Amino acid sequence: MRAVLPGAPEVLVTVAGDTTLLAAPVGVDDLAAAVRAAAPGALVVGSGTDLTVYKGTGDARTLARTYDLAAAAGWQGLAHTRMATESAVDAEGCHPFSVGPDQCLVHNGSFANHATIRRELRREGVVFDSDNDSEVGARFVAARLAEGDDLHKALRLLCERFDGFYTLLVTSGDGFAVVRDAIACKPAIVAETGAWVAMASEFRALAGLPGIDRARIFEPEPETVYAWTR
Amino acid sequence: MDAVSTDRVTFDLAAATVRELNAELHAPSSKSYAVLNPNGAHAVAAGVDTEITVDVRGHVGYYCAGMNDGGVVTVHGNAGTGVAENMMSGTVRVTGDASQSAGATAHGGLLVVEGSASMRCGISMKGADIVVGGDIGPMSAFMAQAGRLVVCGDAGDGLGDSIYEARVYVRGRVGELGADCVEKPMRDEHRAELAELLAAAGLAADPAGFRRYGSARRLYHFAAHNTY
Repeated sequence: MRAVLPGAPEVLVTVAGDTTLLAAPVGVDDLAAAVRAAAPGALVVGSGTDLTVYKGTGDARTLARTYDLAAAAGWQGLAHTRMATESAVDAEGCHPFSVGPDQCLVHNGSFANHATIRRELRREGVVFDSDNDSEVGARFVAARLAEGDDLHKALRLLCERFDGFYTLLVTSGDGFAVVRDAIACKPAIVAETGAWVAMASEFRALAGLPGIDRARIFEPEPETVYAWTR
Repeated sequence: MDAVSTDRVTFDLAAATVRELNAELHAPSSKSYAVLNPNGAHAVAAGVDTEITVDVRGHVGYYCAGMNDGGVVTVHGNAGTGVAENMMSGTVRVTGDASQSAGATAHGGLLVVEGSASMRCGISMKGADIVVGGDIGPMSAFMAQAGRLVVCGDAGDGLGDSIYEARVYVRGRVGELGADCVEKPMRDEHRAELAELLAAAGLAADPAGFRRYGSARRLYHFAAHNTY
């Protein structure tokens, strides 16, 4: 790794289950390219200057210990457990799909026209890691953000282009956004306080948050984009 | 018959399971229960079939008081999806907000949501009364067959889509009406039943401020112009 990186910097390597975390004082694209060169069989599941992505299969509590989530620190966190419907149960199919710098997308539901949109994006040069429908959503959003749109606009465009069921949570380097399909097929609940905002599929996941008793709790309306920035 | 206590029995869901709670509520040794620390648990007080009182202190998850048949269940907090779904009789009250599909398919009894209810409130309701102090979300009363739905606030788009004989009363703004749902005149009999429902729910709204919606009955019969 060091040999192929500019300036041969120190690379910090942390192995956590199926995921290996690499950190080095170089550009994100350089590091990702070095990983692909050094380990052609490995899949880069996320990259950024302010982001760590872990993926794996198994019991959620066990994985949380494997990744030492109890000691994780940061200003934004996203966790997802998957009941697979559209592609295999393996680390590749796990959410989040992190396909742009400091971006993550998790999806509850299924896109109906993902094959069509995947073909369109491929024609534009976008490369896919999996056959997963949710990855198409993530690639679509990443392409819009790369064009300069903000999360709000990217998700409005996604609503126009994608058919099917979806509750989506998308994070970027400066915040996160939530959107649901036109009939709000999949659940979502948001809790908001002066200090933090949290979104989950159901209240049970929010019940333990500090100050939840005083939070403003609401369900996102269909086809309405809710976005928060730092 | 065994003697049934009138002493209030307390279940703390931080220590007991929902399964233990519901087993007790299905063969009650008391007339009155308090449930603490629900923390969004699912199926709290589902399947109650006697005239017991259950006060749940906190937010509940899905299907709270589902299939209720005679119980008086009060959630002092918010309720998740499907509160009082398929209720047969009794009273379920939510002092906060309710999530989607509140009172879905309910045959009888009274569901009161003092706050707002989310989408699909009263979907396929079959005879229950539902009174909401705040707003209801889109697609409410979809295919509602019988019963009354009262909304003191606003109703979202698609209200009463494919509705049968349920009656819907809304005080606030109504979004786009669903297929075959129309506004109908408020006659004295409607104002009277609305006043009764509001009184039963303990809400102070004036019946004069409401409008009535129901089925235009255009979807009841095969229409030749709908053929291919």
